[in-house]
Amino acid sequence: MNPDPLHHERFPTLSAAGQRMLDFMRDHPHAPIYRNDSGNRLLAHEIALVHSFEDDVATADVGWTPGQPPVWVRDFIAETFRTVPHYRALGSPPRRLEDLAPIARADLAADIAQFVPDHVDTARLMLFLTTGTTGHPLVVPSHPLVAARYAAFHKRALRRVGIEPRYGAGQVGVVLLGFQQRCFTYVSVSPAMDESGLAKINLHPNDWRHPDDRARYLDAMAPEIVAGDPISLREYAALPCGVAPRAIISVSMALHAGLRALLEERFRCPVLDIYSLNEVGPVAVYDETAGGHLLLQPNLYVEILGDDGRPVATGERGEVTVTGGFNVCLPLLRYRTGDHASLVVKPHGPVLENLAGRRPVRYFGRGLWWNNVDVTHALRALPISRFTLHQAADGALALGLAADSLALAPAALAALGQLFGDHDIGINPITLEDKVLQYTSDLAGALETG
Amino acid sequence: MNKPGPALEAMTRRLLDTPAEFMDEPRLDGMGTVSVAALVHDLMRLHGHRVPASWLEALGGAQARARRNRLAVAMIACWLLADEWFVAQALPGDALCALFMDTAPALAESTPAHNFVLDAGYGEELVRVTLAHFGYRPADETPAQAQDRLAAVSGAARRRLLEASRAAEKRAREVREALARKAAEEAADKWTRE
Repeated sequence: MNPDPLHHERFPTLSAAGQRMLDFMRDHPHAPIYRNDSGNRLLAHEIALVHSFEDDVATADVGWTPGQPPVWVRDFIAETFRTVPHYRALGSPPRRLEDLAPIARADLAADIAQFVPDHVDTARLMLFLTTGTTGHPLVVPSHPLVAARYAAFHKRALRRVGIEPRYGAGQVGVVLLGFQQRCFTYVSVSPAMDESGLAKINLHPNDWRHPDDRARYLDAMAPEIVAGDPISLREYAALPCGVAPRAIISVSMALHAGLRALLEERFRCPVLDIYSLNEVGPVAVYDETAGGHLLLQPNLYVEILGDDGRPVATGERGEVTVTGGFNVCLPLLRYRTGDHASLVVKPHGPVLENLAGRRPVRYFGRGLWWNNVDVTHALRALPISRFTLHQAADGALALGLAADSLALAPAALAALGQLFGDHDIGINPITLEDKVLQYTSDLAGALETG
Repeated sequence: MNKPGPALEAMTRRLLDTPAEFMDEPRLDGMGTVSVAALVHDLMRLHGHRVPASWLEALGGAQARARRNRLAVAMIACWLLADEWFVAQALPGDALCALFMDTAPALAESTPAHNFVLDAGYGEELVRVTLAHFGYRPADETPAQAQDRLAAVSGAARRRLLEASRAAEKRAREVREALARKAAEEAADKWTRE
């Protein structure tokens, strides 16, 4: 009998085997110091709903053409105007999606309650907090079913590289990595995967009795999937683990091509770079052959908008703006994500090309303006976990590098020489906790396009 | 409401036949296609009146979230008032202005604009309120009957607005409280964390 009064709420369907899996992960002799508790919170009847959702997502096409909203969008608009207070206050639903004014993170942050549909049961409501880089911390309302349904999109992405997740009872399905001074850590099980284990761990030595336990523990868990952000994955690659996962999933920030190559070489498994947002869930997966991020959600329509809120011409860069999604607690209509890309159609569906966070910035060097995408390309071969580039008002450039990537500074400066010649570039270490914009400039003209 | 007006059915029929253009998106903050100011300007000209540009620009009021539905109701009112019966009555300019500044925005408070076209009950409300605004009543109704029926539809609208406002406030409070309560708890598992 677990003494924690919330144990049953976290694990409503937990079996004896599931409890043994929790104990195995938490009480292992090399286990980290788990700081927190979490659970799947799924009710018995919801497990079947997760399965049927996964089946639907596995087979459905993202079958639309840019600029032509699919047929479901009209019903989605009508339903959202009927049930969501923010939209109900606007009156009748518009006849065309493009007539609707887009919203942004600041609109959600102002009063998120106005965006939660009437039918959402507040008793099951839960939230994810996101700090972001735009000065608008955001509470994202969610539901245990929504959280569980993330896996449907990861499985869709994994199938593209020939991986069908299959770990079940008595096995650890997923380990989520962090590498931070402080990190939310816990153990759980996935009822939709026959109670396979799920652990969220912090690779920072602070959370371990001995730093060597990190590799020992990961080898003992032998997870099928390892997920993390580029910083934690770079640390993972440096550990002397003898057991490789079947696949690695990178989220949270752009995965540099060089780091992806390093991970693929180190673990000999596919490494997926998934573009995912708290507000929308997993949106797209990077596909080298498609030349960009391939969209994953069959019921998410994507537009690329210019600064004036109107769609740009096909293939032009603009702000990634989404309609639809699977978070029933936060239906989105023309939500501007703050990320930028161009949208093109490839044989497997719509693809986001040159996806980059936040507003494009251009840099001046050798008498020319260089787009931040040029900077990304110049550095792509290097296994850098995280970097920033800032140009001061006087034109001085400063490259920020995560501590684990400082050794790559000479190679990075050489690579940037393609763009900026022998322009002096300073090097600044960026700390793990820094949540900063990747590309910034105080130079006049840096935010203009062209 | 002393003056006899047109048959109620003729006017509700006109609303059911509202052309699609009158249900297009009002132009607002760079979005939409229909200039409601131009539409109302043309209607005023049809009735033999001129209004200043500043008055037209103020249509819909200053409340950003309420403006869209107010302008959409004004568009449908334009279609109704362009009926030849209304045009033949030589409606006074100040009463027309008051309809767009006061009466139509009041209707927009409780009803999404297109309901006046798509739902016969709401259509009757718009016709009765518009006729009464200019001192008319539907043909074949006594002043007392017209007053009673107007009171019935208007009262229903006021109750709808009140109930919707109360429900919206209660719901928003519940959601905010639930989210504040959950902020102290952990969420549920996701395969990845953004």
